[in-house]
Amino acid sequence: MNAGMKLLLRQKKAVVGLTIVVALCLMALFAPILAPNDPAARVGRSHQPPSIEHVMGTTKMGRDVFSQFVWGARSSLTIGFATGIFITVLGTLIGLAGGYFGGRTDNILDLLTNAVLVIPNIPLLILLASFAGTVGPVAIMAIIALTSWPWGARMTRSQTLALRNREFVVAARMVGEPNWRIVFVEIVPNLLPLIALNLVGSIIYAIVAQTTLEYLGFGDPLNVTWGTMLYNAQNSSAIIVGAWWDIAVPCAGIVLVGLGLSLLNFTFDEIANPQLRSGPALRRWLRLNRLRTRELEAAR
Amino acid sequence: MRLPLHRLAIYGVAFLFAIVVNFLVPRLMPGSPVDGMIAQLGPRATPAAIEAIKARFGAVQQPLWEQFLDYLKGLASLDLGVSVKYYPQTVVEVLGRSAGWTAFFVVTAIIFSLCIGTTLGALAAWRRGGRFDSIVSPLSIMMIAVPPVVIALATLFTFGVALRWLPVGYAYNPNLDPGLNFTFFGSVFLHAIMPVLTLSPYLIGEFQTTMRTSMISVLGEDYVTMGRAKGLSETAVMFGYAARNAMLPVLTNLALMLGAVFGGSIVTEIVFNYPGLGLTLYTASVARDYPVIQGQLLLMTLATLGANLLVDLIYGVVDPRIGEART
Repeated sequence: MNAGMKLLLRQKKAVVGLTIVVALCLMALFAPILAPNDPAARVGRSHQPPSIEHVMGTTKMGRDVFSQFVWGARSSLTIGFATGIFITVLGTLIGLAGGYFGGRTDNILDLLTNAVLVIPNIPLLILLASFAGTVGPVAIMAIIALTSWPWGARMTRSQTLALRNREFVVAARMVGEPNWRIVFVEIVPNLLPLIALNLVGSIIYAIVAQTTLEYLGFGDPLNVTWGTMLYNAQNSSAIIVGAWWDIAVPCAGIVLVGLGLSLLNFTFDEIANPQLRSGPALRRWLRLNRLRTRELEAAR
Repeated sequence: MRLPLHRLAIYGVAFLFAIVVNFLVPRLMPGSPVDGMIAQLGPRATPAAIEAIKARFGAVQQPLWEQFLDYLKGLASLDLGVSVKYYPQTVVEVLGRSAGWTAFFVVTAIIFSLCIGTTLGALAAWRRGGRFDSIVSPLSIMMIAVPPVVIALATLFTFGVALRWLPVGYAYNPNLDPGLNFTFFGSVFLHAIMPVLTLSPYLIGEFQTTMRTSMISVLGEDYVTMGRAKGLSETAVMFGYAARNAMLPVLTNLALMLGAVFGGSIVTEIVFNYPGLGLTLYTASVARDYPVIQGQLLLMTLATLGANLLVDLIYGVVDPRIGEART
């Protein structure tokens, strides 16, 4: 096990968060085993409360909420994670380019970053989605990613700026290493905690945005996700007729992912923040932590 | 008081971006939104109305740049086109009807959350690592991760449907006549409680997190030590010395968050059937009322830019150290 994992596992919050996220991912992965029935199949009467037969009740259309939940996790998590990765790659590359090359490149990229940052995302998403009609998962991913990379780009840029003139980077430049190698071999490893923070934050944002869009009816209603479950529940006025399970189950899924990821994020934040002040702080942080535990053990 | 030129450039680019998106998207999309809109109008489709829609959405034989110039001219004279759903009302009229309600409950939610969030953040930073901090700070980060849809539905179900404590729709009791009397204000207040509570968790979470981070760095400053050395009480140092300065990053964050807040307000208004911009946007998107959707994006972009500009101005006044070097 490498140092980073060890560090993560020593944090109680991170372990809880990781457990939740991994458990949900496993559930999504083994959906065919956990819920062998087709989630879109009519299996019972409409709006049945939770029972032994249907542990989470049925929807208005008589579909099993549990099957929908398990299969919905598949598409919701896939879209959320893929979009999060997309946002992070885009933001990191733009931030790195601006911060490392400086000059005119930086001016233009920084202007672009700040401009996209102040444009309200969700109204823009709604505009794009409503002209496109109902949009498939790939289009949703692309729309979300193209409007939400600036946060990451800003963080990455300021960090890269701070690293650019440090000794090891200057040395690498003097040795004559090519730019791509300096960026990806010398600088990026120092940005890893920040990138992790950005990634987790982006996944959270992607899941929130995706749910919002699908709830508003811009998703493909035939594709079972937690967002479309909410949309269908809303359309069948589940709340008014008191079918709380229909609403509560997808909500619980979304809240659980958010909870797990934000617990992870809290830990990444704690790791990444001391780095704002000094260079390769991860190792220093690890050493400090080791010293601290040793001291504590000695005190005991 | 000088506004850095590059801030203005940023706002200019952002606004231009919104305009260009509005102009290009309907022209680039496959299928013709124009035919759909004319079909929507039905018997109300007078030649003049069809002409106006065609000109706005590019179904005319004209080079693209000329269309763009016409489009800009229209915007400059505040002509956002006519609504398809509410024809012959103009987009400006339709948006004007609902903008007030959104502004009212969003601003209320922001002020409410600002008070709670910054106080919690300041307290958490004051005893960093203490029990209060270790409960409140992770909780704040979690609150940011919960989509407004979930909070809105949970609030609606609990207080509106199960407990029946609060009204579940509209901005005031529709049986009342709007007027400057106590009953009316009471009704407006009651109807705003759930929307405000729905919008707040995200805001409180963000404010708490930003305030805590910024407060921690402020607490290391000399003037805080000075305050303590003077023998001032804890509260005086915390709020009079540290928190006041720590507020600045919170303000910046607030202005940047406004876009996300609008996202939350749209969902909130739909769930609670609150007659603001979000509900208008939703009915417009269902009815494929593109002029209203576009006007909405412009209005919300303008509001966000305005807020950012305001924060820049306030920054200059509150913190004279910040000159043009601010990034």
